Formats: sequence, C-alpha cells, structure tokens
Amino acid sequence: MTEVQVSPEVAEYTEVHRHPEPKSFVWKYIFSIDHKVIGIQYILLALVAVFVGMGLSLLVRLRLVWPDQSIPLLGQLFPVGAPDGVMTPEFYLAMLTMHGTVMVFMVLTTAPQGGFGNYFLPIQIGAADMAFPRLNMLSFWTTFVSFLLLMAAFFVEGGAPMTGWTGYPPLSAVPEATVQGIGQDLWIASIATFCIASLLGALNFIVTTLDLRAKGLTMMRLPLTCWTWFVTAILGLLAFGVLLAAGVLLLMDRNVGTSFFVPAGLVVSDKVIDHSGGSPILWQHLFWFFGHPEVYIAILPGMGVTSHVLATFARRTVFGYKAMVLAVLAIGILGFVVWGHHMFVSGMSPYSAFVFSVLTMCIGVPSAIKTFNWIGTMWGGKIRFTSPMLYSIGFVSLFVSGGLSGIFLGQPTIDLFFHDTYFVVAHFHLIMGVAAIFGMFAGLTFWFPKMFGRFMDERLSKIHFWVTFTGVYAVFGPMHFLGLLPHPRRYAEITGVDYLGTTGAADLHMFITVAAVLTILVQFLFLYNFAGSLLRGAVCKEDNPWEATTLEWAIPSPPPHDNFGGKVPHVYRGAYDFSLSGAKRDFAMQCNNDKAVFPAPPAAGD
Amino acid sequence: MPATLTEAEAPPRLEPGRGGFVTLPPESEGDRGGPDGGDPRLAQRYRLAVWIGMGGIVMFFAALTSAMIVREGLSGDWQPFALPPVLYASTAILLASSWTVERARTGLREGRTGPLRRWVNVSAALGLAFLACQLLGWQALAERGIYLASNPANSFYYLLTAAHGAHLAGGVAALGYVWARLRGRGAWPTREAAVEATALYWHFLDVLWIYILGLLLIWR
Repeated sequence: MTEVQVSPEVAEYTEVHRHPEPKSFVWKYIFSIDHKVIGIQYILLALVAVFVGMGLSLLVRLRLVWPDQSIPLLGQLFPVGAPDGVMTPEFYLAMLTMHGTVMVFMVLTTAPQGGFGNYFLPIQIGAADMAFPRLNMLSFWTTFVSFLLLMAAFFVEGGAPMTGWTGYPPLSAVPEATVQGIGQDLWIASIATFCIASLLGALNFIVTTLDLRAKGLTMMRLPLTCWTWFVTAILGLLAFGVLLAAGVLLLMDRNVGTSFFVPAGLVVSDKVIDHSGGSPILWQHLFWFFGHPEVYIAILPGMGVTSHVLATFARRTVFGYKAMVLAVLAIGILGFVVWGHHMFVSGMSPYSAFVFSVLTMCIGVPSAIKTFNWIGTMWGGKIRFTSPMLYSIGFVSLFVSGGLSGIFLGQPTIDLFFHDTYFVVAHFHLIMGVAAIFGMFAGLTFWFPKMFGRFMDERLSKIHFWVTFTGVYAVFGPMHFLGLLPHPRRYAEITGVDYLGTTGAADLHMFITVAAVLTILVQFLFLYNFAGSLLRGAVCKEDNPWEATTLEWAIPSPPPHDNFGGKVPHVYRGAYDFSLSGAKRDFAMQCNNDKAVFPAPPAAGD
Repeated sequence: MPATLTEAEAPPRLEPGRGGFVTLPPESEGDRGGPDGGDPRLAQRYRLAVWIGMGGIVMFFAALTSAMIVREGLSGDWQPFALPPVLYASTAILLASSWTVERARTGLREGRTGPLRRWVNVSAALGLAFLACQLLGWQALAERGIYLASNPANSFYYLLTAAHGAHLAGGVAALGYVWARLRGRGAWPTREAAVEATALYWHFLDVLWIYILGLLLIWR
C-alpha cells in the first residue's frame, strides 16, 4: 500500500488492511467495490436519468400549449406515439408517466442516498468502506438493470406505459384497458428490480452506520448528513418490501389471470373482463404505504446536506442539533402513518380520513422545527455566500413553499376540491422534486472539490442558481392558481376547453411552458459547468477548502483508495463546532482534541 | 488555507468523563471501525445485517398478509380449501433443519470442523427436502384442480409458499457458500461470520414458515 499524506487532524492511527486497490480498468471503474466509485456511478446514473426525465417534462409542456406542433426527430424516434412528430394524447400520458417514474425512482431515490450517501457516509464516520462492499456493487448494478428495463419500455410495441407513476389499476392491471403490450410489464419489472436494489442498499447503509463508526463517534456526534442517510435507509428498508409485494401482485394480475386489484364485471371497450372480486383500492393502500415514506426518502438527504452546508457557511453550529435529530426521526416515523392522505377521495370512511389528516398535520411540527433551526443556524452567522450555500438557502425556501401547500392538501374537505388538480402538481414538485434537487446541487457543489480535486466554476454555479431558483418558482407558482380553477392534472389537451380559455388558464400554461424551457436550458449550463470543471476546474490543493469540521475534510482531495491511508481516525467532538471564542480558527474538526487551542466550553452541539 | 493544527503543542489526551471541552465516550462505545477480514467482531456485523434484513423481509410478508386479509373480506368469491397434508411433513423437516443448524454452530464453537461440515451438509439437504415437499404440495393441489388463478385463496397460497421458498432457496445457497468456505481457506469473511449469519437467517425462515402455515390455516 502506498503511503498517503493524511492531515495531522486524523489523530490516532491504527494500521488496517482491507481489499487492495484494483489495477485493471474494469475492476477499478466498472465492477468496483469501492464505495467512492459506486457513489459516482450512482450520481452519473442519476445525471443521465435527470436529463431523460427533464426532456420528457419538456415534451409534456410543449404538448400542453402547442398540441398540433410537429417536433423534429420525434416522429422518427416514436413513429406510433408521435406520427410526423405530432404527439398523440396517449403519447402525452406515456411521457407523463415516464417523467414521474424516472424522476422519483432513478433520480430522487438514487443520487441523494446511493450517490452522495455512498460516497460520504463511510468517510464521515471514519470507515474505510461500506460494511459490505460487494453487496454495495450488487445494489448499484441491480439499479442499473432496473434503469435499462425502464428505458426499454419506450421502444417496445405499444410504447411506454401511460398509467401514471402511481400505476393505478385497473388501468395498469388490465392490458386491454390501455391497448398496451409489454411496456407496462417492463415498468413493473423495473420497479420491482429497483425495490430489490434499494433494499440491499438500505441494509448496507444501516449496518455501516451502526457498526463502522470511528472511535468516539457516538450517534449524537454524527453529522446530520449521516443521520438523514441512516433514517432514509430505515425508511427504504421498511417501504420497498411493500412496493415489491404490490408489484408482484400487479404483475400476476396482468399476466397470470389472478384478481387482486381488478373488480368483477369490469367492462373495457364493450367487453367484460374476465376477473373477479379484486379492488383497485387495495393497490392504492399498498402503493401509498410505500409512496409516502418514499417522499421522505427523496427529501431527507437533502435536509441533511442543507443542515451541513448552512452550518459550514454561516460559521455557526447547527442550531438545536438534538432537535434536528429528533425531527428527522419523527418525520421518519410519522411518514409511515399518513399514506391515507393520498386517498381522501377513494371513498374512505370520514373517520379514517380524519385520523390520517391529524397525523399529516403532525408532520408539520418536526418540519417547522427543522425550518426554524435552519434559520436559527444562519441567524447572526458570518454567512459566506458560496454556491452550495445559495442552493441550501434555496432548499429552505422551496421546502417552506411546498410545505405550506401541504397544509391545505392534508385536510380532507379541501383536498376533495384540490385532488388531482395542478395544485397537487405544484405542491409535490416544489417540496419533493425541486427542493430535493436543490439539495443535490448543494451537495454536488459542496463536495465536488473533495470528490474530484477540482472546484466547480463559482460564477457559472451562481448564474445557474439564480435562473433555476427564479425559474422553478415561475413554473410551479402559477400552477397553484391553475389548481384553484380547479384545472385537472394529466389532461393532454387544454385548447378548446371553454372555461380554461376564458379564465386565463391557457395564458398561464403558456407562461409556465416558456419558464420551463428557460429553466431547462440553464440546466445545460450546469452540465457544462460539471463536465468542464471535471477537466479544467481550478485545482483544489487543500484538504479542507471550506474550513468545514467533518472527517471527509481531514483527508486529501480526492481521497485515497481506502479513505484514511490505512489509518483509523478518532473523533473527539460533535460535528458542528464553529465560531469558537478564543480560538485561533473559528472551527474545530471532529478529529481535533486540542484543548490548548480551544479552551472554551462548547456552546451547543453534543 | 491548509487545515492543520501544527502551530499547537501536542495536546494532552482528554480523559473520559472528566468534563471540560469534550467528553470521550467509554471505550466500549468506541471503535466500531474495522475492515473486513481478521476482525474478531465480523460475525457480529453479519448477524446485525441478518437482523436488519429480516425487517425488510417481514415488511414484504406483512404486505402480502394485509393484502390477503383485505382480499378475503372484499367479495364473496373466496373459496377455502384443505391444505395438502405434505405441508406437515415439510414443517417437520424444516424444524429438524433448525436443530441440525444448531448442531453445526455447536461444532463451530467447539472448533471441530468435522461435525461442523457434516451438520452444514445435513441442513442443506433438509432444506432441499423441504423445497421438494413444497413442490409436492403444489402438485397435490393442482391434481385437485386448485390452480394459481382460479381463486384468490389459491393465489395467496401459491404466492406465500413461493415467496417463502425463494427465500429458503437463498438460505440453501448460503449453506452452500458456507460449505465452500469450509473446504477452502476461509479468510473472507471468516468462517464464523458465515456460519453464524446463515444460522440466524435459517431460524428466521423457520419462524416465517410457521407464521405462513398459521396464516394459511386461519385465513383459508
């Protein structure tokens, strides 16, 4: 093993031996068992997926405002769905379905947890790798197969599924209903494969957090990023098994002739379907029992990154660390008992709806605690407005905006009106989609120098932040007003619908599409910044360019193969010791036990 | 600016529980770090992984259970049927295999590889016998005209036994892995970890099967 320079803050050393660094390209970069390579693989997969998903949303927006417009190349790619480049309504639904599926599963679930979590969880807890490196590799490649299965659905006979990302039966369970062949089956197979990959990954994350922490790194000294990855993994472990079961049942309904979700006497195209006695509501229960925790699987890591970055660039310890941890746990637990609020209009008992509603409101409490603590962290801090800081502040803003509309939707009587309108689209895009993506932007710009040894271009990042931040509000803000009309979601065509024309909805749609196109364009600036900085970015010579406190900043950028150069770090303090009075520097790293330099007692933290 | 503390004197190591700036946790809470191989507590980590994996598997079967109970109450088309008697044979075989797995663990604890290998082989054979009995159960039902899709009660029977069988096949594969480890030089993961984790998983499958059998008896 080659000797690696480790900064003196890695206090006490023990020689370790583990899997040697692979030499060949295939074992080093393709079938790697190094958590850092796997993390980057997840991030690249999500990057490809996010551009696919974004392209689909562009098609959706174009179809809504210019339904008759022929789009170049589209006709050649999808001769059935878009003859001569003009999208059919069915094609619109398929694009909508695939947009949701790609974004929720392949982007929001992979990058924050599988990507950044994989890369930084072991380093932040002072471990050489994940608990089970081979299992980790298996998780990634299973996810990759799942992605391929999903992409294959575009190119089979009948095209991609058009049942929405929620795949509600009987539309999804009865092939005759959508005149679709294998596309829906591929969708289910992809989701089921994804479930297995996520279960394996969750197992690995939990064991790693519990069993591999460095000496002195108690649970209450963990960086909040690690806490959110840990709780996200627990949610994934308990939720994905349920979706897997539901997927198996749905696949059987489609292909074997069972009747779990298909009711008796269903008539499709004047033909009675040969099923008996199932219930589409059963699917909804199983799906949303997964689906609601999934929302937190997507957003919790973003919360962790935001807490982490806000503390670092406000030069303040995280306000109310213990409250933050408890809030994450509370959100995780409550996330499992609110699934019914997706089903208020399914004919459920008003008493059930009341219970689900009250529990849903309860989530507002830990969410508010987190928001107040983020503001409290920044309050009175010496804020450094770097791009990761901007993205994190953007996250807080989007989280608040999306959360407020959740209070409306969580009440059954109001939800009766808003259900399946653009108000819901605005709500979940702000809080689950864009907020989580801002968390990823924050994470990427923050950790880029650590991962690749180069900085991203700060100027381009800031331009990207301001345009995107304004753009997403311009896209999703007006959707609240569409929802108030109430404008139903999932409609392929709005032209010629009288009340939408007279109420100005058509103009709002045009505004949203223009804003969406501009926002999408600026994402290519981000891509350019990402790729360009990889090749030509300013070199990061330091271990700790942001003057941060956690262990990943105590090792070289990029880190050596086994993270700590054959050493095992010790941890002596909480994760966010900033603004220390009487100290030569205003922060102390977790592995720093220097009493002489930092004589003052801690103000907060552990 | 390089993050160093070189300007400081080498600081005194803080004592646990002394107050002051930081409090070191007791040693027992400490070093969880450690790589694969040679770690005496590797078995502990593998057992922890199995315990956590059980959580995911339990949720999978809980979802199927709730679907089954809901589906039965949903409409009047549920037709109960008598379980094939071979299930009791398979149950006895699986209970016996848990005992043989324990014998293997005893061999491991006493450091006697002979009995360890023998009982691992016996357990794997019993696992395969269990799977064969489950297939016979399917065959017996098919002969009675009870097919997968003909009634929801049948569907859940086939689904639950197949899902459990798939997990048990994984257990047999794990025993095969242990067997291969015991033949070669079991460096990674250590033999102990492989045996202990597999044994725990095997007992879990045993309990899971008792649960499924009870479910099929009560809710048929």
